[in-house]
Amino acid sequence: MIKVKGLYHSYLKDGKYAVKDVNFEVGEGEIFGFLGPSGAGKSTTQGILTGLLQLQKGDVTVAGYDIKNISRKMFNKIGVSFEQSNVYNKMTAKENLSFYARLFDVETRDPLELIELVGLKGKENIKTGEFSKGMKHRLVFARSMINNPTMWFLDEPTTGLDPAIAAAIKDIIKDRNKMGVTVFLTTHNMYIADELCDRVGFIVEGEIKLIDSPKNLKLQYGEKLVEVEYTQNGSVKKDCFSTILQKDKDALNKIINEKEILTMHTKEATLEEIFIKVTGRELV
Amino acid sequence: MLKRIWFIFLRDIRINLRELMTVYMLVIPLILAVGINFLSPGINDTSVNLVLVKDENPEQAAYFDDFAHVQLMDNQQEVEYRIAERDDVLGVLAGDNGYYILAQGNEPESVVEYARLLNVLYESEVKLEDARSEIIEFGRTAPPLKKMLVNILLLLITMLAGMLISMNILEEKVDQTVAAINVTPTTRKAFILGKGFTGMFVAIISSIAVILITGFYSINIGQAVLVILSVTIISLVIGFLQGLNSDDFMEAAGSVKLLFLPMAGSIAGYEFVKGNWQIFFYWSPFYWAYRANDMILSKSGSWPQLILYVGIILVICGGIYALLARRIVRGLQ
Ligand SMILES: Nc1ncnc2c1ncn2[C@@H]1O[C@H](COP(=O)(O)OP(=O)(O)O)[C@@H](O)[C@H]1O
Ligand SMILES: [Mg+2]
Repeated sequence: MIKVKGLYHSYLKDGKYAVKDVNFEVGEGEIFGFLGPSGAGKSTTQGILTGLLQLQKGDVTVAGYDIKNISRKMFNKIGVSFEQSNVYNKMTAKENLSFYARLFDVETRDPLELIELVGLKGKENIKTGEFSKGMKHRLVFARSMINNPTMWFLDEPTTGLDPAIAAAIKDIIKDRNKMGVTVFLTTHNMYIADELCDRVGFIVEGEIKLIDSPKNLKLQYGEKLVEVEYTQNGSVKKDCFSTILQKDKDALNKIINEKEILTMHTKEATLEEIFIKVTGRELV
Repeated sequence: MLKRIWFIFLRDIRINLRELMTVYMLVIPLILAVGINFLSPGINDTSVNLVLVKDENPEQAAYFDDFAHVQLMDNQQEVEYRIAERDDVLGVLAGDNGYYILAQGNEPESVVEYARLLNVLYESEVKLEDARSEIIEFGRTAPPLKKMLVNILLLLITMLAGMLISMNILEEKVDQTVAAINVTPTTRKAFILGKGFTGMFVAIISSIAVILITGFYSINIGQAVLVILSVTIISLVIGFLQGLNSDDFMEAAGSVKLLFLPMAGSIAGYEFVKGNWQIFFYWSPFYWAYRANDMILSKSGSWPQLILYVGIILVICGGIYALLARRIVRGLQ
């Protein structure tokens, strides 16, 4: 569904790259998660893939279309949910969706049904200018489904939502995917990524550090993490070390030799911890 | 393509009719048109009032009715009473050698002349079609001040249309909705045309309304619409750019400032600058629009002349659009 080769993008064309040498493929029916801290280049990548940003360097095909000479027809198959909650503030929720639906050439879904699906039932006739940020974000998410896309781009669909609603959004994505929809998902929520994604790509400072399935990553890193509790200057400290990375092994050695160990055991790593291990960066 | 242009246009109009500010912008030309009527009387309101005897000569009464206010009385006696009542009412009565004009004596001479002329025209069986030009020449039909004010108002309307566009573009900018439109099958061209159509539509509707309110029914409205449409292009282009480049309402409304000076200059140029020097205004599409409208409002123009003026306007506006189109398209990314 998506093929990206040697993708570079510099906003100011000044040699500073927001994404550099990005390569990946997303198969049909797959949920691919793009994980990284903010400013990593996730939205930039999605922007290029959806034709919103001009392709500067690299080869990109989406749903069989070469992004270099994009065809407007492509967008009948594509759904895009934005990071910014970009709806018409002067229109009601329902009007927003109805207007948007008319811009497509394919059969579209009932606005009211979608509004209900994202938990905004009863709010359909309220102007979105009066919505909270989270409500607008859900509406943008709902809007991205209106043309029954087979290729679905979701930029931070759960960011800023409370956990119950985030879980509901997650279930919707899962359901659509079961019907064969391919999903390109950008997030820094590791739990969502862990549960949803067939494969994840870790991106930091514009570069992909690793691509694999969450399951493989856990097999690879998970069982080789050691959590140590020890005392330092009279207070209790807790640290987590990999047993494969030399740097971690050295540090662990030092603690065992020099500090008083309280507890020590191996554990299954979360995706977040794996991310930190692999990239050396926190996911914020 | 057409479908999407239509829905984008429809959305804009609907939102504009909902907002106090934009409704105000739509209504203000109409208020000004009513104001013009107060300042100077209607073109068909000849301010000549005639009183005739009812059923005495219905054909004559109908003929006069096309050019003056006609009131019918039951008999000659009542006509005389009526004339004594108010200043500028004249009676047209049957006498021994044809009709005569009955006046009180203090009516303006031109009014009496007018009534006399009408009577002569009727008696010599001049048809309405033949007579019209002479009547207009007589200087009573389209007061120059009124013609000028209406012409200015028509240009102001194109400016308001530009302002409306800039506000609608600003809305898309503030709400960041262009990105959402850009991931639908909507082309940039359709988007720009849809938005532009809103301005065109408002310009046409308001212009026709102003023409009707001020009583210029008998001019060729199609010609006027053609001129308005062609000159509105420039306001729309400026409106687009201004909307894209501003961050708030006041800035967006500033497009008016950009257009106002060339517009006012062109009008003053046409009205007050003598003969050969007018060449210094030939660059301005507003000059040509004003000149074309002046011709249309005084019903003195021909189609070839009009096509020439509209052609000049289109060439200038087309040039300006070509210069700025890339900036607009880039701004929409
Ligand atoms: N419009 C822009 N102009 C210039 N730089 C930008 C623009 N948008 C994003 N950037 C920069 O590009 C980098 C990647 O941003 P982005 O793709 O938005 O990251 P993410 O979505 O992963 O948070 C950041 O350093 C950001 O500052
Ligand atoms: Mg982002």
